Amino acid sequence: MKVRVRFFARFRELLGTDIVAEPPPGTALDALVREIAGKKKEGYDAIFDEKGAFREFVILMRNGKRVEASDAGKTVITDGDEIAVFPPVSGG
Amino acid sequence: MISIQAEDVDIGTLVDRAKQRGTGAIVLFDGIVRDDGIREMELEAYQDVALKELERIAEDARKKFGLLSVDIIHRIGRLKVGDNILVIIVGAGHRKEAYEGSRYIIEMIKAGVPIWKKELRKDGGRWVPGEHHHGRIS
Repeated sequence: MKVRVRFFARFRELLGTDIVAEPPPGTALDALVREIAGKKKEGYDAIFDEKGAFREFVILMRNGKRVEASDAGKTVITDGDEIAVFPPVSGG
Repeated sequence: MISIQAEDVDIGTLVDRAKQRGTGAIVLFDGIVRDDGIREMELEAYQDVALKELERIAEDARKKFGLLSVDIIHRIGRLKVGDNILVIIVGAGHRKEAYEGSRYIIEMIKAGVPIWKKELRKDGGRWVPGEHHHGRIS
């Protein structure tokens, strides 16, 4: 199973973007992001708090649709998914 | 025209194109890179999602305010002081709808379209904090 993980803005600078991952079947969104972000401490700390929960301002998307952080643990990733993780927007 | 692009736009041409027989008012919003002691500004978008969201906002504004035309052009990439960042051109039968529609569109963009700005200064860069902690995109 292949999925694409995209970080934006500050998270992109810390963790890169367009990351292709091959998580085992049944992996939840939060575990996937934790696994990838965990490779760089500064990136992990930007997204997760000291208890390992998503920081309050972090925005998650699966295939262009918002997923609340509280639902990330029960959102199971499927083949071909695109996951996006980003800080609050500041366009305009 | 709804677009996210690096290139600048010809605002005069867009205003001319926005005029229809029933148009009585056009409101132009032009967001510009301000000189806050910055060298340049870098803009980044989650392109596919941001474009869909701009299209949805434009359609919502058309219906909500009875607008005759909506153009939104948001630029990305490196911009310098004085450059256009965001151009919104709204055409309506009367000024009230045009002003309200324009205001609605900019506020919705600020609230939830996945685009980010980074100020580039002599001593480094700073991501501009968003006005809203969570976007409205569902």
